[in-house]
Amino acid sequence: MPKIRAYAPGIYARSEELVQATRDLDRGRATEEAVAAQQDADLRAFLYAQREAGLDYFSDGLLNWQDIFRPFDTAAEGLRTGPLTRFLNTNTFYRAPAVEMERPRLVEPLAEPFFRIGDLPRSRWVATLPSPHTLAEWAAGEIEPRAVAEGILRPQIRWLAVNGCAYVVLQETALFGKRSDLHGLFEALEALASPLPLALQLPFGDAGDVLGELLELPVDAIGVDFYATDVMALPRPFPKTLLAGVVDARNSLLEEPEELAEFAHSLIAEMEGPELHLVPNGDLQFVPEKIAREKVLRLGAAARILKDQNLEEGAVT
Amino acid sequence: MNEVRFVTREIGSLAKPGWRVKSIVGRSVEDSDVEDARVWGKRLGVANVEELVEVLRKGTGFSEEEKAKIQDYSALYGIRLLKSAGLDVVYDGEQRRSEMYDHAVRHAKGFEPRGTVRSWDNKYYTKAAVTEKPLVKTVYDLEEYEFVRSHTDRQVKIPFTGAYTIMDWSYDEYYARNGSLLGAPAQQRTEPRRRFGVDAARDVVRPNVLGLVEAGADWVQIDEPAATTRPEEVPLVVETFNATREGIDARASIHICFSDYTSLFPHIEELDNCYELQLEFSNRDSLELGTQAEDRPGYDVLPRFRESAWDGKIGLGVIDIHTDYIESPELVRDRILYASEVLGPERIEVNTDCGLRTRTWEVSLEKMKNMVEGTRLAEVALNGS
Repeated sequence: MPKIRAYAPGIYARSEELVQATRDLDRGRATEEAVAAQQDADLRAFLYAQREAGLDYFSDGLLNWQDIFRPFDTAAEGLRTGPLTRFLNTNTFYRAPAVEMERPRLVEPLAEPFFRIGDLPRSRWVATLPSPHTLAEWAAGEIEPRAVAEGILRPQIRWLAVNGCAYVVLQETALFGKRSDLHGLFEALEALASPLPLALQLPFGDAGDVLGELLELPVDAIGVDFYATDVMALPRPFPKTLLAGVVDARNSLLEEPEELAEFAHSLIAEMEGPELHLVPNGDLQFVPEKIAREKVLRLGAAARILKDQNLEEGAVT
Repeated sequence: MNEVRFVTREIGSLAKPGWRVKSIVGRSVEDSDVEDARVWGKRLGVANVEELVEVLRKGTGFSEEEKAKIQDYSALYGIRLLKSAGLDVVYDGEQRRSEMYDHAVRHAKGFEPRGTVRSWDNKYYTKAAVTEKPLVKTVYDLEEYEFVRSHTDRQVKIPFTGAYTIMDWSYDEYYARNGSLLGAPAQQRTEPRRRFGVDAARDVVRPNVLGLVEAGADWVQIDEPAATTRPEEVPLVVETFNATREGIDARASIHICFSDYTSLFPHIEELDNCYELQLEFSNRDSLELGTQAEDRPGYDVLPRFRESAWDGKIGLGVIDIHTDYIESPELVRDRILYASEVLGPERIEVNTDCGLRTRTWEVSLEKMKNMVEGTRLAEVALNGS
């Protein structure tokens, strides 16, 4: 039976206090230091919630990332912050990275404060990055996914590896609908030559059409949003680790841990891969923080039920 | 052939002046805000500006009666601003409304606020969840409409947040509650959204629209910024428009923006008596002059409307609301001339891409004046005089 893990990658929700602090900053009524202090408070609360939930990997919630691309716009030579662009159908927006060079290059890997390594338990934390294909597809201007992998994400992942990161989740949001350059994605993932296990997560979309092909990619795990993907589309037996998006990060309706565990248990029966990871179906920033926190707790509760069931059935958890 | 004359108008919201925002939310109105009210009042020809100035001088602690007066003046300034720009059709710049989504759900039973989420960077919006079958019992925009109607002789077009957008921007704790959607087939996942959307059309948007039409409104604009963000749900957008429109004896149009309009086809052919689609285009267009297809990349979807069996008008977005760049009258002219060439001038009316609430009044006024001037230039070009 697969090993069970649970965690909450991606950008986490900002508390009402942090919302106010950042609003005040924009209006000249607060300082950068005051915002940073509130970000610290938010991080402590999020880490506490993850501990309380018993999650297996910790996340820092990327609380100071304006979007999943933005820190790279300033850290990489050849990228800059581009136009405001609608993010899928979420009624939110990101700044598309504007391409100024054919082969952008990370001048220095992102470190503190973008990855809060001083607050995260060594070898037990998960990092979230954009997939090289996603960054290339959503960029303003032409760039190859392989160039993103080689110049930006490979040095970043190496830095993560020597700084205690255990797992990397690559967010892939550019494979839905007509967008499916799997060859470019394959090449880019190979070029990462990652020393860390990699998951490719497809948040907030129906992955059913491409799931079969995704299994050929050089990654350890595939992430599926089960609020947008019919479970019957899952290739069987599923040969890789599966990141099952079982908590809906786009709806305030709270999931029942027993129902999540029951669904996950049904997935186990279809799996050949080594691990089943329970995760939200995307960034928890799409619900208010108090709801996000409750969802984290319920995710952990579901994982505990599942682990207990597995123990009874004699599996390693 | 009749002489060409294009109708011009704004789409909805204008920025709210500092004196209006601060006085309503309880912050201090500064001297500079009072001066701003005085200067704009004179500039827009608002009568009795000193009455407003006197109220604002209080600075803080406004009574409910004083707040109502400030709201009235803010609406009046909005109407006058649009009139000063020379628009044919006006409203009040949505000066009394908090925000398009919040305004709609706060007046409906069945929604509960859930908190704040990020739109982008440090910009946020408040989201609500539908927690029971939603219902609107009052014609909550009646006072707003009657005020506008009594303060302008121009044609009036009233914006309403559309049912599909209300559904799409709300959390669902009611329709999705029964039966887990986890891992469900597409049809099972879609059905709760359809029921929510149709209920929102019939029982949330329509009662307010109907009440205003009974009060004399003859043009309603259904705002659906979410309309094409899920291409597979465009048929539901059409269904909710038709449900909203049922039994409404008035001109009805739809505003859509910042998305891929190709997904509208062929579904718009099923719209019931939709006078017009008011669409954003200039945000994606070139700033260079020219009336050929290659000069106007932002309008490249227009030929699809010519080929469609839907034969309503296009409200042509010719002003980008996301930048302070002031489009020249000649640029506006060329955009209209290109669209007229593709669709025929009889199918074109002229508007901004969307509401101007993120621009200052100074910028908004300049943009709209040039829009009107450019429209007149296009008419001259088409009429030959």
